Amino acid sequence: MNCIIHKVPNGKLLKVFLDVKEGRIDTIKITGDFFVHPEEAIEELEKHLCGVGIADIEQVVHAFFEQRDVEMVGLTEESLIQVLKDGSRT
Amino acid sequence: MNTPNNTIRLLVTNHNTASYNMALDEAIMNHVKDGTVPPTLRLYQWNPPAITIGYFQSMEAEVDLEQCKKLSIDFTRRITGGGAVLHDKETTYSLILPEKNQIVTGTIMESYRQICGAVIVGLQQFGLAGQFVPINDILVNGKKISGNAQTRRNGCILQHGTILMDVDVKKMFSLLKVPDEKIRDKMIANVEKRVTSIKHQLKKDVNFRQVCNALVKGFEEHLHVKLEPGQLLESEKEMARELAVQKYETDEWVFKK
Repeated sequence: MNCIIHKVPNGKLLKVFLDVKEGRIDTIKITGDFFVHPEEAIEELEKHLCGVGIADIEQVVHAFFEQRDVEMVGLTEESLIQVLKDGSRT
Repeated sequence: MNTPNNTIRLLVTNHNTASYNMALDEAIMNHVKDGTVPPTLRLYQWNPPAITIGYFQSMEAEVDLEQCKKLSIDFTRRITGGGAVLHDKETTYSLILPEKNQIVTGTIMESYRQICGAVIVGLQQFGLAGQFVPINDILVNGKKISGNAQTRRNGCILQHGTILMDVDVKKMFSLLKVPDEKIRDKMIANVEKRVTSIKHQLKKDVNFRQVCNALVKGFEEHLHVKLEPGQLLESEKEMARELAVQKYETDEWVFKK
């Protein structure tokens, strides 16, 4: 499994564990010392990302946060997208 | 429960295991939610010493569990985000209140600042000048002395945090996984420069009781509240015992990520 570590600018440390099969996210675990309210949003996002094609990652993440009232502290949508893209490529 | 708007129940529950401590915070939150108990400040310690990781962290990726077992260090996952903490010689607080209250208001970041402000006034009782550094740290002379973490669930704010009374960075690092063993010593030296404790600052020991008294003063002064010593309800204790066993001690929770 790929592990991508990313320091969120002015934020916390994001560690994502990721497996890609045939161009799609197969398994994903988003971890780190950030804060997300409500916390369960991250597990929901992981479920949403399973099976998503690499090219669609950005759109899926944006749509996910648009549809919900989620507050992130020490973590940003941009950092998540960047790490997911980096992790899918390698 | 009918209590004046500015009264907070004070509980000093001394030392407990990691699972019970985290379970008790959650049990109190559930009772505050129902209105069966007033907003509560709990002051406590840990026995045995314990590592807690943040809600979003991976236990296996962050913590050397073999080493924990060897040194009889307890471990569990918190319901709050944030980083891994070794709870050893420290005083821990948890402040639990309904989101709709007149004591701690505003955004999450504003409420961190308010509650950490109370800890800072507590530190002043020892002549220490604390500084709140967002997101969730308090520094003294440029070094971290307190880490804090907040969650908002069930219409409640729960913030808990540590005040280091002493610190052993080498011990802390022996329990945490580091990305590269070759740089372990370098990381220890680096963190030693960035972390401190009341003992390191004052060059003398302080005890739990002294820190509790200082924090009571800090919370009362800074949040303009009256802390009234109280007791846990039997139902809070019972719920905490259940949550400890059925949640905080289970692999399902501890190794959730």
